[in-house]
Amino acid sequence: MVRSKITNTEHKINLYENVMQIVFFISALVSVMAVIAICLFLLLRGIPAIAEIGFMNFVFNEKWGPANVPASYGILSMIVGSMYVTAGAIVIGVPIGLLCAVFLAEFCPDNLYRIVKPAVNLLAGIPSIIYGFFGMEIVVPFVRESFGGNGFSILSASIILGIMILPTVISISESSIRAVPSSYAEGSLGLGATKEETVFRVVVPAAKSGVLTSIILGIGRAVGETMAVVMVAGNSVMPLNKIALLKPIRTLTTNIVTEMSYASGLHEASLIGTGVVLFVFIIILNTALSLLKSKSSRN
Amino acid sequence: MIKNKKVLFVVSVMILLVLAGCSKEKTSSGFSSDKEITVVARDAASGTRGAFHEIMGIIKKQGETQVDNLVVGAIEFDGTDKVITAVEGDKYAIGYISLGSVSERTKAVAVDGVKPTVENVKSGAYSVSRPFLLVTKGSENNLVKDFMKFAESAQGQKIVNDMKYIASAEASSEYTSSGMSGTIKVAGSTSVTPLMEKLQEAYQQLNPDVKFEMQSNGSSQGIKAAIDGSYDIGMSSRELKDEEAKQLNKHILAIDGIAVIVNNDNTFDGLSGSDITKIYTGEITKWSEVK
Amino acid sequence: MTERTQDEKYLKKRKAHSFALKALIWLCGILTVGILVYILLFILVRGIPNINMKFLFGQYDSETLSAFSSIIATIEIIVISLAAALPIGVFCAIYLTEYARRGNKAVKVIRLAVDTLAGIPSIVYGLFGMIFFVGILGFRTSVLSGICTVSIMILPVIISSSEEAIKAVPDMYREGSLGLGATRLRTVFKIVLPTAMPGILSGVILAIGRIVGESAALIFTSGTNVLKAPTLDLTASQRTLAIHMYMLAGEGLPHHRDMAFATGAILIIIVFAVNMAATKLASKIGREQ
Repeated sequence: MVRSKITNTEHKINLYENVMQIVFFISALVSVMAVIAICLFLLLRGIPAIAEIGFMNFVFNEKWGPANVPASYGILSMIVGSMYVTAGAIVIGVPIGLLCAVFLAEFCPDNLYRIVKPAVNLLAGIPSIIYGFFGMEIVVPFVRESFGGNGFSILSASIILGIMILPTVISISESSIRAVPSSYAEGSLGLGATKEETVFRVVVPAAKSGVLTSIILGIGRAVGETMAVVMVAGNSVMPLNKIALLKPIRTLTTNIVTEMSYASGLHEASLIGTGVVLFVFIIILNTALSLLKSKSSRN
Repeated sequence: MIKNKKVLFVVSVMILLVLAGCSKEKTSSGFSSDKEITVVARDAASGTRGAFHEIMGIIKKQGETQVDNLVVGAIEFDGTDKVITAVEGDKYAIGYISLGSVSERTKAVAVDGVKPTVENVKSGAYSVSRPFLLVTKGSENNLVKDFMKFAESAQGQKIVNDMKYIASAEASSEYTSSGMSGTIKVAGSTSVTPLMEKLQEAYQQLNPDVKFEMQSNGSSQGIKAAIDGSYDIGMSSRELKDEEAKQLNKHILAIDGIAVIVNNDNTFDGLSGSDITKIYTGEITKWSEVK
Repeated sequence: MTERTQDEKYLKKRKAHSFALKALIWLCGILTVGILVYILLFILVRGIPNINMKFLFGQYDSETLSAFSSIIATIEIIVISLAAALPIGVFCAIYLTEYARRGNKAVKVIRLAVDTLAGIPSIVYGLFGMIFFVGILGFRTSVLSGICTVSIMILPVIISSSEEAIKAVPDMYREGSLGLGATRLRTVFKIVLPTAMPGILSGVILAIGRIVGESAALIFTSGTNVLKAPTLDLTASQRTLAIHMYMLAGEGLPHHRDMAFATGAILIIIVFAVNMAATKLASKIGREQ
C-alpha cells in the first residue's frame, strides 16, 4: 500500500519532469521558428517583387523613381550608400572605441572606471531618435561649417553611426583584452618594453579575434540603423558618380522608412525587397561572426 | 595621484565641451551669393510635395510618361519640421512648407511678386496652393456624415480660419450636436493632422461619446486606407488622381498655401516662379544665378 | 660611446612614442565620456524646462501634447512583451545549459537562431511585424502587433543573459541538491534559477531599455496614433514615447518642437534609471561571486 503510493508519486514526478523538459525544448525552438518565420515572410513578399522588377534591374540599377511613369526600382545607389556610411562609421568609431577599450582595460584608475564604464553602457542605451536629433542639431551644422556642403551628408551620418557603435566596440574589445593572460604582458614588460608598447604589440594582437568580433557587430549595428540616419543623411538618391563625402545619401534602411508610409502595390513590395537585401547583408555578417567564433574556440 | 587624475579627467571633459560650444558660436557671417543652393524637398509621400512639384512644373508629364525632375542631391525629409530646421540652419537653403507652419524661424519669400498670405491665397493672387481634402468611400455611416457636417459648418470652418488656413466655402449652416457615439478612424496627410486634431477636439466637446483614432502617415497612405476601407476618413493634402477620385467621395476641408522658405540671412525676399522651378530641377545651382 | 648615445636616443624616442600613445588613449577615454555628456546636456537642458504636469499626466490635445497615454502605452508594451518573452527566454536558456547534451545538433541550430535574431535590425522586425502580425494574422495596426514584434526582438537579449547567469552557477550547488535527492527539475527551479536571478534581471533591464528606445520596429506595427486618455485596449493603435518624440519633431510648430525635447528628456531619464539599475545589479553579482 505504502509502496504503491511512493511509486505513484514517483510516477507523477517523472511525468512532470518529462512534460517540463518538453516545455523547455519547445521554448528553445521559439527563436528558431521566429527566424524561419521572418525569413519566410520577408522572402514571400519580397522575392516576387524582385522577380517582377528583375533581379539585375533591382540590385544593379541606380535609378529609383517609384512615382515616375514608367516607374524604376533600382537600389544600387542605396546599397552603395549603406556601404559608404558603414565604412565611415568604422573608420571613425573603431579607432576611438579600441583606444577607449585599452584605456578601460589597462590605464583607467579604479575609481574613474566606476564613472567611465557606466557612461559607455549609457551610450549604448540612448534611443536612436535622440542620436538623430543630436545629429541634426549639432553634427550637421558642425559639418556644414567645418567642411562645407550643406551638412546633410555621408560624413554626418558616419559621425553619428561612429558614435553609436562605440559602446559595442568598447565593451567587447575590453573584455577580450582583459581575457589575455597576464603572463603575456609580464613577459613583454620583463623584456624591457614600456607599458604602451606591451599593450599595442602584445596584448591587443592577442585579443585580435575579440576585437574583430566587436567590429563585425559594429558593422551590423551601423548597417541596420534607421531612425538616426534618416535625420542626418539627407535621403537623396544619388547616382553613383555623384556620391561624395559631403553630399547627401540614401541608405537601404532610410529608403524603407521614408517611403513605406505611402507605398502600395509593387512599390511597397520593392521596399520589402529592400528589406530582403538588408537581411541578406545581416546574414552574411552573422555567418562571418559564427565562423570567427568557431575558429577562435578551436584555437 | 588617483584623485588628481579624476580631477584632470573632469576638467578635460569640460574643456572639450567648451570647445564644442565655441565652434557653434562662430556662425554668423554674411550671405555670399556665389555659394551653391541647398535644395530641400519633402518625401514622395507628401501631399505638399505632390502639389508643389505639380504646380511648379517639376513633374514633367509627356503622354503616358511622368517624371519627377527633382535635382539630384536634393535633401528629402518626411516632416515639415525637418525642412524648417534644415533651412533655418543653412544660409543657402530653400524649402517649401504649408503656409500654416510658417514662423519667424525662416523667411517665406514672395512668388512672382505676390506675398504668401492668407488674403492672397484667398483672392487667388498667390497661385501656389492646394486643397486639404477629407475622402470617404461609398455611403458614409451616420457618424462620419455627422462629423463631415460639423467640419463644413460655421463652427468647423471658423477653426480652419483660426489655424490660418483658408475656409473652403462660406459656411452658413450652424452645427448642432446630435449626440452621436462611436469611433471614427482617420488616416493620412501629416499637413492636415494639426487642423484635424483641433476639429476633433471641438467635435468631441459637442459629442463626448465619440472617439477618434488617427494615423498621421502621409496623403497617399490616407487615400489608400480610405479606398480599402480600413479607415473611415482619409486626409489628403493634394488633389486626387483620376483613378482615386472615381472610388471616393471628396470633401474640401480647406485651402492651404504652400510657402517657399529660405534662411533668414538670405538677401532675396522674392523669387520668380520660373526661377524656383529651375532651382528645383537643377538648372540653377547658385544664388548668384537667380535674377 | 657613440653606440651608447644612440641607444639613449632610441630609448628617448621610444619613451616619447609611448607617452604620445598614452595621451591618445586618455584622449579617447575622455572623448567618449565627453560625447555622452554633450548629448545628455543637449537634450536635458532644452527638454527639462518644458516638462510640466499637464504634459506628464494631462489629457492629450493640441495644446498640452501630453505624453501620458504614450507613457502608459510604453509601459503596457514593456510589461506584456516581457511577460511573454521572459518565460520563453529563460526556459530556452535552461534547455541550452541544463538539459541539452553537449554537441547536440539542436543546440547548434538554436544558438545560430538566437545569434541571428540578435543581429536583425529593428527596421526588419518592423517590416516582418507589418507583414505578419498586422497583415496575415489580422491584428491590424495595434498595440498587440507591437507587443508581438517586440517580444521576438527582446528574446535574444533575455536568452543570452539568462544563459550566462545560469552557466555561472557553480556545479557544486547542483551536485549538492541532486545528492540530497532532489529531482533535476526541482534543482533547476529551487537552486539554479534563484542563484542566477540577478543575471536574468539584468537581461530584463536591458530588454526594457531596448523597448523604451525602440522606434523603427514599432512605427509600422503599433502605429502613430495618440489617444486623449490612456487605455489598456490592446487592439487600439498607440504610439510609444520614442515615436511620440519622432512625431512631435515632424510637425513644424515651435511648440511641438519644445515638447519633442521634453519627451527626449523623459526618455533620457528613463534610460538613465534603467542603466543605473543594471549597473547596481551587476556590481551586486560581482560582489557575490
